[in-house]
Amino acid sequence: MTDIQDRTDIEYKEAPPAVDFGSLTTAAGTAPPVVQGVTYERILDARSEPQNWLTYYGAYDGQRYSPLDEISTENVVRITPAWVFSFSPHGLHAGQSTYAFETCPIVVEGVMYVSGWDGWVWALDAKTGQLLWQYKHAIPFDVSLCCGNVNRGVAVANGKVFVCTLNAHVVALDASTGECLWDVTSGDVRAGESLTVAPLVVKDRVVVGSSGGEFGVRGHLDAYDLETGERVWRCYTIPKPGEPGSETWPQEGEAWARGGGNGWITGTFDPETNLLYWGTGNPAPDFDGEVRPGDNLYTDSVIAVDADTGEIRWHYQCTPHDLWDYDSNMECILFEQDGRKLLAHFDKNGYCFILDRTNGERVRIFPFVDRITWGEISPDGQVTARIYPDKEGEEVHFYPGPAGAKEWTHAAYSPTTELFYVPVQDTGATVARRRREFKESIPYWGAAVTVDAKDMAGSVSAFNASGEEVWRWRNDLPMCASVLATAGDLVFAGTPSGKFVALDARSGELLWQFNCGSGHHSSPITYSVEGKQYIAVPVGWGAWVEGFLPGMMGGPHGQAMFVFALPEGQDSSGGR
Amino acid sequence: MTTTASERSGALHELGLDGQNQATIGRLLATGNIGRAEEGDGGRMHARIRIVPDQLIWDPSVLVLPHGGHLDIEFVNDDQNTHCALVPSNGDSQWMWLPNYSRGTMSVTLDGPGYYWFSSNIGNDEGRGLIGAIVVRGDVPESARLDRPQQPRP
Repeated sequence: MTDIQDRTDIEYKEAPPAVDFGSLTTAAGTAPPVVQGVTYERILDARSEPQNWLTYYGAYDGQRYSPLDEISTENVVRITPAWVFSFSPHGLHAGQSTYAFETCPIVVEGVMYVSGWDGWVWALDAKTGQLLWQYKHAIPFDVSLCCGNVNRGVAVANGKVFVCTLNAHVVALDASTGECLWDVTSGDVRAGESLTVAPLVVKDRVVVGSSGGEFGVRGHLDAYDLETGERVWRCYTIPKPGEPGSETWPQEGEAWARGGGNGWITGTFDPETNLLYWGTGNPAPDFDGEVRPGDNLYTDSVIAVDADTGEIRWHYQCTPHDLWDYDSNMECILFEQDGRKLLAHFDKNGYCFILDRTNGERVRIFPFVDRITWGEISPDGQVTARIYPDKEGEEVHFYPGPAGAKEWTHAAYSPTTELFYVPVQDTGATVARRRREFKESIPYWGAAVTVDAKDMAGSVSAFNASGEEVWRWRNDLPMCASVLATAGDLVFAGTPSGKFVALDARSGELLWQFNCGSGHHSSPITYSVEGKQYIAVPVGWGAWVEGFLPGMMGGPHGQAMFVFALPEGQDSSGGR
Repeated sequence: MTTTASERSGALHELGLDGQNQATIGRLLATGNIGRAEEGDGGRMHARIRIVPDQLIWDPSVLVLPHGGHLDIEFVNDDQNTHCALVPSNGDSQWMWLPNYSRGTMSVTLDGPGYYWFSSNIGNDEGRGLIGAIVVRGDVPESARLDRPQQPRP
C-alpha cells in the first residue's frame, strides 16, 4: 500500500454503493426458463424444431441449414430490419484495435443467447431485441491473442449457457439470470493459451478446443461435466514421445511440446459413430518447418475423436508438414451420398476433402479456389509442395495466403439442393522465413509475413458433392463470413464492406442486399417466433484482418446484431 | 536519448509528464504510484485507492495482487470534483459514484494472472489520467497447465 495519509481536514461522505454496471442499462434482469428443457436428445434432433437454433451449426451435422421457408426467393426482397442490438464497451479492453463480433447466436423459444468479444454474454428477446440479462467475464488486458479479441458463440443445455473466455476459462451461466454457476480454468495464459471456440454440448459433457497455436502451445480438446465443470477427458492433438503419431515429430528436442494443432473451431458430431469430427490448427512455428521435420501429426488434420473417451479413432491430415499456416479447423459437414456416411471439409489450402466419416477413408479431393500455387494435392491424396518459405530471409509469394482460400468462417449445405455454399477468399501473401528462438507466450511464427492488399477476389461458390462448381456469386473482396442456407432456397452471406446479401440457392442470383455499416466476420442464423421467421447476423469487422484482408484494415469495427424479417407483424419494442 | 529506470521518475518530473497541465494537458498514464493489496484471512484481499486533488490520478495507479480472487477496494475521493470508478469483475464490472470528498468500498473478483484497467468513465477523466491498473500475479492451477516439459520464458 502507498503511504498516502487520510486527510483530517475533510469530513467524508459515504459514496453511493457500487452496482453491477449492467444494472445501468435497460436489461430486464431475467429471461424465461426456456433452456431448462434443452436436453441432449433435443439437440440430437435439433432440425425438427426449426424455430430454434439450438447448437453452433444449427444441428450436429454442421450443415448450417434451416428448414424454415417463410422467407423465400419469392419474397426475400421485402425483408427489412426488425431490430438491432448494438453494444460498445466502456474503458480499455484487450485487443482494442482487433475486436470483432464473430459470434453465432443461439435461439431457444424466443430467447437469443449471444457472446460478444471480451467476455460478454447477452440474453435478448429474439422478437423485439430487448436486452434480458448480460454477463461480463473480466478479461486481462494482456492475454495472448494472435487474431483479435473474439468469441464464436455459446452453447446451451440443462438450464445453462456455456461460454469460453479469452483467459482460457470455461464458464456455465444460469440461462435465466446470467449468474455464474461454475467456472473452471481450462488453459494456461502464461503459456499463450486462450479460448475463442463456441462450446459443443454432447451427452452430459461440454466440449471445447484450445487456441494458441501461434504461441507454440500444445493443442487439446477438453470435455467438462455439464453440471459440475469437472474435466472428464483431455485429448492432446500433439502426441508425446512414444504415443501414436509421435514418429512424425523429431525424436530429439521438444518440437512436439510447442507443436500447436489447436482445435479452436467447434466440431461436428455423429451419434451413430459416436465420433466428434474436429479440425486441428497449424503446427508451430507456422512457417519454419526445418525445426520440426516430419508430417507433424495431428496438425492440419480432421480428427475423429471418441465422444466418450477423447481418444483419436482416425485422422486425415490435409497439409502434412505445413509451411503456409494452413489450419484445418474449419467445419466438417456431415452428409450422406449413395448410402455412404461422408463429411466435407473445405480447407485453408484451397482443397475440399470428402471423407468417409466412419473410417477417414479419402473419397474425393477437389480445389475450390482459382489460385493455388503453394503446391498441389492430387485426386489420390498425394501432396506436392512447390512454393514455401525455405531459405532464411528469402521472400516467396504463394496462393492462398495464410488465411486460406476459406478461413474458419463456415460453408453451408442444403439437403434440398444438395449443394455446398462456400465463402471463398482468393488472396496471396509474401512470406520470408525468419527463425526465432521459442519463448513461452511470445508469438512463434518463424517468418515475416505480409498479405496482399491488392489483386484479390472473393465469392460464394456452390459445389455439388462431386466437386463440380454449379454457380459462383462474385465479390470484389474476399468473403470472410459464414453463410446460411434455408429451405426458402436462399443463401445468406455477409461481405467485408458490410453488405448482407440473399442469393438464390439454385442459381446464385443476387436477390436482396442491405448495408449493415460494418464488415461481416460472423455466422448468421435463422429462427422463428410465433411462426414468424427471422434472419440474424452479428456485424462487427475486425480480428485477424491483417491476415485475411489487409486491404480493409481501416474498415469500421461496428458491433451490432442485425435481425431481419418480412415487414408484417414486426415488433421492435425492445428497450424502454 | 533514453533514461534508466532509476532516472525515469526524475525525467517524468523534469519534462512535466507527471502532473496535470504541464507538458501534457492531462497526466500521462501509468506514471503514478504502485501499491500492493493486503491479504486477509482466507485469501480475501483489500486495498485503498485515492483520487489525488487536482491531479486526476488514482493513488496507487498500479495495484498489485498476489493472486486472483476476491478484492475489496476502498475508494477515497480527495478531489473537489465528482468522479466514479468502473472496475472489471467476473459477472459484471462494478461501478460507483465518487462524489467530492466521499469514500466507499467495492468488491470485485478477478482471475489471475494478468492485468486489468479500471477508470473513471465520465467526461474525459480517462484521458486526463484516471486510468489505473490492477495487476494479478501468480499462475493458473496445475490442472490447467500443459503436459509438457518446462519451457523457456522471455
